[in-house]
Amino acid sequence: MTPPPVLRIERLGKRYGATLALRDVTLEVAVGEIHALCGENGAGKSTLIKILAGVVRPDSGSITVGGKPLRFGVVGESERAGIAVMHQQPTVFPDLDAVDNLFVGHEKTRAGGWWLDRSAMRREAEATLAALGESFPVDIPVGNLPLAQRQMTALARALLQNCRLLILDEPTASLSARETAALHAAIDKLRQRDVAVLYVSHRLDELFSIATSVTVLRDGAHVLTSPLGAIDRAGLIQAMVGRGAAEQIVDRARQGDVAPSHPTPGRPMLCVERLGRAPTFYDVTFSASQGEIVGMAGLIGAGRSEIARAIFGIDRYDSGSVVVDGRRLGGGSVREAVQAGMALVPEDRHCEGLLASLAIDENISLAQLPRLSRWGFVRRREERAVVGEQIGQLSIKLGAPSDPVHTLSGGNQQKVVLGRWLSTTPRILLLDEPTRGVDVGAKAQIHHWIRRLAGQGMAILLISSDLPELLSLCDRIVVLRQGRVAGEFRRDEATAAQVMARALPDNPLPGIDQGILP
Amino acid sequence: MTRQDRANDPGRDSGDGSGNTAAGGAGSSRGSSPGSSSGGTSGSWYSVRSTWRSPAGGRELGLALLILAIAGVVGFHDPVFLTGVVWHDILVRCAPAIIVSCGVMIVVVLGDIDISVGSIMALLAALLGRTLSSHELQWSVWAGVPLVLLSGAMIGCVTGMLVTLGRVPSIIASLGMMTLLRGFATLAMGGKNIDGLPEAVVHASKTGWFGIPLGPWAALLVVLATYILLTRTALGVRIYATGSHPESAGNAGLPVYGLRIFAFCYAGFLTAVATVVDVPRLPKIESGIGSELELFVITSVVLSGVSISGGRGRLSGVVLAVVLLTLVRPVLTFLSVGEAGEKWTKAIHGLFILLAVVSDRFSATMDRRKKSR
Amino acid sequence: MSEGTPWRRIARSHELMLAVILAGILAFAGWRMPQFLAWDGQLNLSRQLWETALIAMGMTLVVIAGGIDLSVGAIMGLCAIAFGICHQSSQSVGLATVACMLTGIGCGACNGGLIAITRVHPLIVTLATMAAFRGMAEGISQGASYSRFGEHFGRAFAGQGPFGIAVGGWINFALAIVLATVLSRTRWGRYLRAVGGNELAARYAGVPVERLKFTLYLGMGLLSACATLISVARFDTAKADAGRGMELEVITAVVLGGTSVFGGSGRIGGTVLGLLLIHETRLFASRYWRIDELRQIVVGCLLIGAVAAYQALKREVRREK
Repeated sequence: MTPPPVLRIERLGKRYGATLALRDVTLEVAVGEIHALCGENGAGKSTLIKILAGVVRPDSGSITVGGKPLRFGVVGESERAGIAVMHQQPTVFPDLDAVDNLFVGHEKTRAGGWWLDRSAMRREAEATLAALGESFPVDIPVGNLPLAQRQMTALARALLQNCRLLILDEPTASLSARETAALHAAIDKLRQRDVAVLYVSHRLDELFSIATSVTVLRDGAHVLTSPLGAIDRAGLIQAMVGRGAAEQIVDRARQGDVAPSHPTPGRPMLCVERLGRAPTFYDVTFSASQGEIVGMAGLIGAGRSEIARAIFGIDRYDSGSVVVDGRRLGGGSVREAVQAGMALVPEDRHCEGLLASLAIDENISLAQLPRLSRWGFVRRREERAVVGEQIGQLSIKLGAPSDPVHTLSGGNQQKVVLGRWLSTTPRILLLDEPTRGVDVGAKAQIHHWIRRLAGQGMAILLISSDLPELLSLCDRIVVLRQGRVAGEFRRDEATAAQVMARALPDNPLPGIDQGILP
Repeated sequence: MTRQDRANDPGRDSGDGSGNTAAGGAGSSRGSSPGSSSGGTSGSWYSVRSTWRSPAGGRELGLALLILAIAGVVGFHDPVFLTGVVWHDILVRCAPAIIVSCGVMIVVVLGDIDISVGSIMALLAALLGRTLSSHELQWSVWAGVPLVLLSGAMIGCVTGMLVTLGRVPSIIASLGMMTLLRGFATLAMGGKNIDGLPEAVVHASKTGWFGIPLGPWAALLVVLATYILLTRTALGVRIYATGSHPESAGNAGLPVYGLRIFAFCYAGFLTAVATVVDVPRLPKIESGIGSELELFVITSVVLSGVSISGGRGRLSGVVLAVVLLTLVRPVLTFLSVGEAGEKWTKAIHGLFILLAVVSDRFSATMDRRKKSR
Repeated sequence: MSEGTPWRRIARSHELMLAVILAGILAFAGWRMPQFLAWDGQLNLSRQLWETALIAMGMTLVVIAGGIDLSVGAIMGLCAIAFGICHQSSQSVGLATVACMLTGIGCGACNGGLIAITRVHPLIVTLATMAAFRGMAEGISQGASYSRFGEHFGRAFAGQGPFGIAVGGWINFALAIVLATVLSRTRWGRYLRAVGGNELAARYAGVPVERLKFTLYLGMGLLSACATLISVARFDTAKADAGRGMELEVITAVVLGGTSVFGGSGRIGGTVLGLLLIHETRLFASRYWRIDELRQIVVGCLLIGAVAAYQALKREVRREK
């Protein structure tokens, strides 16, 4: 006799305009189960999570939690039902310390429910964190803590509030391997306390190591549910993409048998000399030549994105120089960098890339406007031509170019940001984690573009936490450690083990992460 | 990460993710710990380890030192400044602003703003005069004063409901209320000034007990009550939590609308308290009462380091900021005899905020440099 | 675009909603007091509108870029004092005008510089400079007021222009056309909306954010100086309290005109309609009911009512989607 499932989703449907985000999805999660949810971007995972969190109201179907039906579209109802949702960026209260974060809304009180019992809360908070295998100061604002500890805070909160179903949405996308292992250990402890877990991730290896069963969604529909022991990696990918080709490209790339993008790089385009900005990076020297793909590897927090920001002129640097095609840049000016032929596709699409207040076409042409305007007036016809070319080239799926950007799907939004910079025909392209959180098919497509652009003579700096990606794409790999260059490898010298060895700090300081690359 | 985290929140400050005057750039005290080394987190070097729970931080220290320094310098210049009479006067002057600031501060911590308090005070003063004055309705004090207090809370409640249920941004809702209530106040006064308030009320407001008028006593009580409310009760934690991240607060099942309405209600109520204790001190009630109160209060709240995007700020700072700003006018009178100096009061107020803004920025930059090794 | 009830169409266009309300008020006014709509009377009373309108149009751009300028009224005070003092010492209106303009530019540069360099929220910076500028005006003038600037000056800035419309009115028309063009046709208009929507992303896209902000607040200083000239010429008086309450009146008009207080969207046309709506409502309320205080009450209700109605309709439209 098995206990009733914690979560039962029946024939759930949701339609956004013309697109069906979910069609008759049925899903069950049992007590103490870690249930993986897989699917490409746009398969309906995020819609499902939003419905479970009470943010979105479905059109049809029903959800029962612990045997009781869940009322839809009521914020707070899910938490009352025992559902806790944890996103990639955990939603904690940054200005509150860990104790308050754990207890807010369910505070322990004395004297008739008015007076806070801080000492009791503090004791219990420390005990809960210890149960998850963590110990960090509980009396500083959690906004000052590293991401991994903020996630632990959110997990501990879920544990304290007797959550019955924990939903994790790409929790490890920004974590190092050590932090990921700690998180998985904590999740396992939760499971032992009869918490059911719905785990969403693009990292298949991770799913095989932690989950007990898996459900795959494709185009909003349920494809399969099976225990993880009964399916292998290839089968899972097959179910997700429904086509074998895309994964083959990636697999071949992972094995490294694709020819180098450009056998003989041309003249040096980007020379970075002893660049430094306290306290993130110091004495960084490297160069990239025409048609060369230079990878930048390192742990999270090693200063890679910050270096890209400084090269591109978003931040000023304290020392050193950036020379583009023999011309030295003054630094601190994006305009100057753009005029020198540089382009940066940032890491975070929503905060750093897209402009929700502009239409799709305006987003694409934004970086080009000085060239597309005369006396300040935008020449609409030429703008339309440029935008049309990018939409076609990147096959962006849209209604009309003048629609708002939020009407696009996530992958197409990423293409809009890419298109903005490709339309400036840059000579140097800085890519910061271009494939993070992107599904397998789109990833292969992006790899294909990167190779093609390098083949056209562009110098490319590729920042990535995905080591196989770097190894397969790059002509050279620069490894950063704690803000300094720790090594440089040519394509034929580089192995994953060597790169990792250089990326690890030799004398770990307290608080410095010692994990290895994912 | 933290930078993005903050930028994700609608209504947060734009720019490089720094909080308002407490300009960011500091992050964790552990120089290169991952995730917090880039971008600003909260506060400057001095507030890294202090939350809103701690009684005081760097800003409070700065304000207190400034007050002491000013008192010392002016006292050295003219010892009369250090006598009880002068400080008695300062105390009485800052009492109503302190009372109102306690309410407005909670509104600001929740991420809203209330610029209607001055007009609320004008309308309530008219109500007080109309009900209690010997030339008007001649109500009993025990009927008139509760009516005024209740009306204050009700007006705040209306603003709060407009902001939450009506989804009108708080700056607009309170701007509209400010204009509207000022009109009602003038209407209620009927084009004349009111005097002849009951002797008991006037006596309490002017003389009080133990040589101190009702105003400072009430301010003390309000500050204590607000301090306990914010730091010792569940309500306080929930207020800071909601201001810190409204979306998570909603997901955590906190009554976000209720809390915000409560804050406006509380601010309205405290404005009523300030009206009752301070207005009878004046020779007569006119429609221009409280015309610059909202600016003074917002200026103090901002000067005290309360983040206008919500979630951060301490009551002790607000009280010190009010005292500092109140101090300016008597100090100017002392330094230059006569009216000439007094006219510069506002310029000095502005200067203080600019000083706070620039010093925050400077300390954030210095902090980044210092971390270099 | 989908069909839909007239209500939904109105909700989609804030300007249309304002125009309908304005037409309703004018129709009611014309029905109750036919003389209210007389062209001459309207023209005569429109004079008090021009200073506000000048600053409101500039403020529209500032608010679209996600900023706010609370110090405009205080800048007017300081400009008026600069004008008065310079005129008193030199007896030259020309020199005084230059001094007034320079003061405005200086104040604007001060705002813009602080906002661009410290990157502190403009609400706080301009709150500080509002107090500082007003305090300086009061401190320097010590309550004095300056007047008798000569008929020539009065005619130049507050006199009658072609078609019986005041000079200030013509300046406003020109400015409205220029700013509306900037906003819709030039790359600077794009940049404004970009910065207002997502400043960080705009920076990443190569938008010169600091220069844009500096120019905006500098422009606000310049517009405030122009408004001061019109106002000084109209009253033939320069005092430290010039432009008192201007900031709130202007922001009311801008917000009523449909510009988002969070930045990113808004139009000059909306602001113009918002201004007209406030102006006509006030005029009618005070002339029909003959109670002056009603103006404030009506404007307050209008502001809250319009924004609340707009929010409600927007939610309705979103729900139907």
